[in-house]
Amino acid sequence: MRSRPRTIAVAVLGVGLLSLTSAAAFAQQKNPERNVYYGETHLHTSWSFDAYAFGDTRTGPESFYQYATGKPTLHPGGYQVTITKPLDWGAVTEHAEYMGMVQEAMDPESPLRKSSPLLARVYEEGVRADGLLAFKVLSLAIAKGLPIKEFSDPAVVAPVWKRIVDIADRYNKPGKFTTFAAYEWTSTPDSKNLHRNIFFRDSKKVPQVPFTPLDSPDPRDLWSWMDKQRAAGNELLAISHNANLSNGMMFPTEVDHTGRPIDRAWAEARLRNEPLTEMKQVKGQSETTPGLSPNDEFANYEVFVWHLLGKKGPPPSEYGSYVRQAYKDGITMEQARGFNPYKFGVVGGSDSHVSVVPYRQKNFFGVHGTVDDTIEKRIDGATVLGLNSLWVTPAGLSAVWAEENTRDALFDAMKRKETYSTSGVRIPLRFFGGWGMDAGMLKQKEWVKAAYATGVPMGADLPKPASKAPSFVVWATKDPDSANLDRLQIVKGWSVSGQSFEKVYDVAWAGARKPDRVTGKVPAIGSTVDIGKGTYSNSIGAVELKTVWTDPDFDPGLDAFYYVRALEIPTPRWSTMQAVKLGRVPPSGSGFSAIIQERAWSSPIWYTPGAQARKAVKAGVTIADLGRQGAALLSDQQLKDLLVGKTVKVRNTVTGQHFEILHGTTGRRLITAIDGKATDLRAAGEMMHGGDLDYEIRDGRLRTDLNGSEFDVAVYKLGDRYLAARSNEFGYANYEVEPLKE
Amino acid sequence: MSPASPGAAQPSRVRRWLSEPLLHFLVIGGALFAVYGALNPTPAVSSQANQIRLTRDDLRQMAMVWAASWQRPPTPEEMHSLIENKVRDEILYRESLALGLDQNDTIVRRRLAQKMEFLAEDTSAIRDPAAEELKAWFEENRARFALPGRMSFRHVYFSPDQRGPGARDAAVEALRKLVGKPADSPVVAGIGDRFMFQDYYADRVPEQVASVFGAAFAQSLSGLAPGGWLGPVESGLGWHLVFVDSITPGRVPLFDEIEPEVKAEWFNAQRAEAKRKVFAAMRARYEVVLPPPDDQDAPLSGAASTLKSR
Repeated sequence: MRSRPRTIAVAVLGVGLLSLTSAAAFAQQKNPERNVYYGETHLHTSWSFDAYAFGDTRTGPESFYQYATGKPTLHPGGYQVTITKPLDWGAVTEHAEYMGMVQEAMDPESPLRKSSPLLARVYEEGVRADGLLAFKVLSLAIAKGLPIKEFSDPAVVAPVWKRIVDIADRYNKPGKFTTFAAYEWTSTPDSKNLHRNIFFRDSKKVPQVPFTPLDSPDPRDLWSWMDKQRAAGNELLAISHNANLSNGMMFPTEVDHTGRPIDRAWAEARLRNEPLTEMKQVKGQSETTPGLSPNDEFANYEVFVWHLLGKKGPPPSEYGSYVRQAYKDGITMEQARGFNPYKFGVVGGSDSHVSVVPYRQKNFFGVHGTVDDTIEKRIDGATVLGLNSLWVTPAGLSAVWAEENTRDALFDAMKRKETYSTSGVRIPLRFFGGWGMDAGMLKQKEWVKAAYATGVPMGADLPKPASKAPSFVVWATKDPDSANLDRLQIVKGWSVSGQSFEKVYDVAWAGARKPDRVTGKVPAIGSTVDIGKGTYSNSIGAVELKTVWTDPDFDPGLDAFYYVRALEIPTPRWSTMQAVKLGRVPPSGSGFSAIIQERAWSSPIWYTPGAQARKAVKAGVTIADLGRQGAALLSDQQLKDLLVGKTVKVRNTVTGQHFEILHGTTGRRLITAIDGKATDLRAAGEMMHGGDLDYEIRDGRLRTDLNGSEFDVAVYKLGDRYLAARSNEFGYANYEVEPLKE
Repeated sequence: MSPASPGAAQPSRVRRWLSEPLLHFLVIGGALFAVYGALNPTPAVSSQANQIRLTRDDLRQMAMVWAASWQRPPTPEEMHSLIENKVRDEILYRESLALGLDQNDTIVRRRLAQKMEFLAEDTSAIRDPAAEELKAWFEENRARFALPGRMSFRHVYFSPDQRGPGARDAAVEALRKLVGKPADSPVVAGIGDRFMFQDYYADRVPEQVASVFGAAFAQSLSGLAPGGWLGPVESGLGWHLVFVDSITPGRVPLFDEIEPEVKAEWFNAQRAEAKRKVFAAMRARYEVVLPPPDDQDAPLSGAASTLKSR
């Protein structure tokens, strides 16, 4: 074991640039119409203390860079893996907490062994005895605010960080393969994911040591530190990730995880520092869920329900944990409060903990050390910290539209959010928005040039309106080594009086399918998947889909966002193909199915009305208005008298829908009718409450759950009218309550 | 012992010893014991082997480790239980070894194999190569540094979106009109469908071709001769007629162009070689015995080469 650190050092020195010969030959001229560059934003090697615990004891950053550039690379399971297609760029993002400390503890020459010999030995022995236990103890200690200071002493950390930056520099080959100095800030208060990956524009001015959650687990402190770095000429950005595992804390709307109100300063600091979020990674997608988007039939895709470190508890809150809802909340906050902290673009990532990454269903291998390193372990659903290997999905891929493949060009593109995420496949995807964009534009060979000239690309804001409705150019081509395309969709969100809405438009699709007359939805494309064999065929679907789409429901007074989702035809999931290999029945379960549709998500284009346009919209009633008019908040007893054991008619004054709700005496409530009919709840849209659930009257509020999140309703009496306000509607009282019958 | 009768011949002393029952017993018993012992090796039973000896340094070390996590020295009771734990660990370890529990345990085997590999990988002995040595090594290993060949080509696209399954036939049909025509023939413009990317690609390596057209197309392209319209060739996007303008064969850069890379690769090679030698030396001490080849048992077909490699 004693030779190990030296081995690393030699590997670092030695491996160097060998696969990256003759970069100049690849260098191409800047393309003003920009090229798409695929890359990795989120990756761990054994230098991350949890990766070591999972059984990846040997890799380092250079393993990833070799893998990314196409070299066969050793998986901790003891076999070689090769990437399906080399990446254009990528960065290793080790956990900043105790970065490289296992290796340092084992290296007799390391500063750590000199400064804290005993501690190093204890750690080394602990890791050897039970790596996973050692990891749990250390992370719990961090979570409890009891970090081991010796492991974050700058004298100990700086050499490791420098090594990481130096390796990145060594593999950076402008024009051919770009790397970044980067790390992960792994704030995990109460097992909730507030993680961010930090990217530096260049490596020359990186700080001596990274800012870690041991310095502070509060994102506000991270942003202050980033602001200071930027002021000192060290440009950097943060990419939040695994919002889906944050239990609602990644995108809060009222108060942050410490209880501090979300205000303009908070929003601006976030916006300044976090232009991007990660849409998909091995631990699921963060777009949306069937619960949040009941009308989106493609939402039930790789939904990952799990608490970090395997902590037990009810399913995490979906509100505040998903990107589409954050976009909706963001524009609603813009309208109601004048700021939007959630105007970010999207990228993908892996979060692999084995230095190598599976991006393809066909080339899927485990990502948690020796926990899931064989087909048998994966199909049997081997678990670590309560995380089932069957839930794990191939890495998301980041796509960036930039003029050339260099640090500067890629970083600038990330800052302006001209990025998109895929589920791992390489779907080239363009998206432009503008006013009066030429409907025939796509007939020109040079349409991209025209689109840049007359519109804005993904990630940008629409300029001031110059016509009745915005139009959008959407274009995608299939991955030449993957499945054909099913359809392109535009996901639109908009807000009115503190309420937000979403609609998924099918805008281009393969074949001669006709949209449904009522819903406007294009029917499913069908499937060529043979589950028993784990195969599919490209006999359905399209190679290229494109259109110029004009929003048919545009209201210039309302805040809105638009993003594209491209869907492939159905294909077998990795678990299906690998189960077939073992002669087993392809598994499916909660959150994953035997057949999937690979996809790509663009960053949105936003529309923000000017002051004049806003005035044209009928203003909603706010709680403040009610106060001025002398309305009285109902007490618990008055609420009970009004509601319990009775059916009330509740009208959503924004949508005009009305609901009949029975609050039973046993604490259950039931929606008995919508718009006078007992309709399907999924078609109901926003209402004062969700479906058939428990309620409670307490502290002057009617408390209820929507998709695992608690919302409160306050009811006010104004004259003989009852008006209600829901706690996630930013100060608006959007409901009128009318006692119906005993 | 019977008193010797005076007239009888005196048996020799040796003979007397040999007829001694006690001796018989001892010899036979000893032999049996030896055989038994050989058949049933027991853990050494000397008093030394059953000793668990902790030195003053060991105890001091245990106390310090304890102090490091608790920020105070252990009390006598705590010290006692530290020692008891250590003793317990050591006893369980030895007993488990005695029972052979370390045998056939995947984790133990992998761990030990890993340790051995680390040892084999010790590259501290590798020194910087002399300039001449490096250059000579580069000459011997030129192939490692070869740059891929490049190709310039143009193509006409036949889209499955436009033509469905008829795309290939359309391409075959179109080829008739293009055969013998130059690359920039005016006929080209009116044939085929609009391609979503470029119609002409200059100086591309196979990896770049694959990223646009798919891996299979890049493969097919490498087999085409330059100077004429050929095809149809299938890509991940449809069917193509291809005119290869030129092929720049791969080349090996000059030593001076890539010296740092050569050096890096040299270190790698030395490391791999050192590891290989260490393993080869170890493997030479072993004989691998496998069952004879069996044509029926396909999954085991690799066994033959293992035998040969011995």
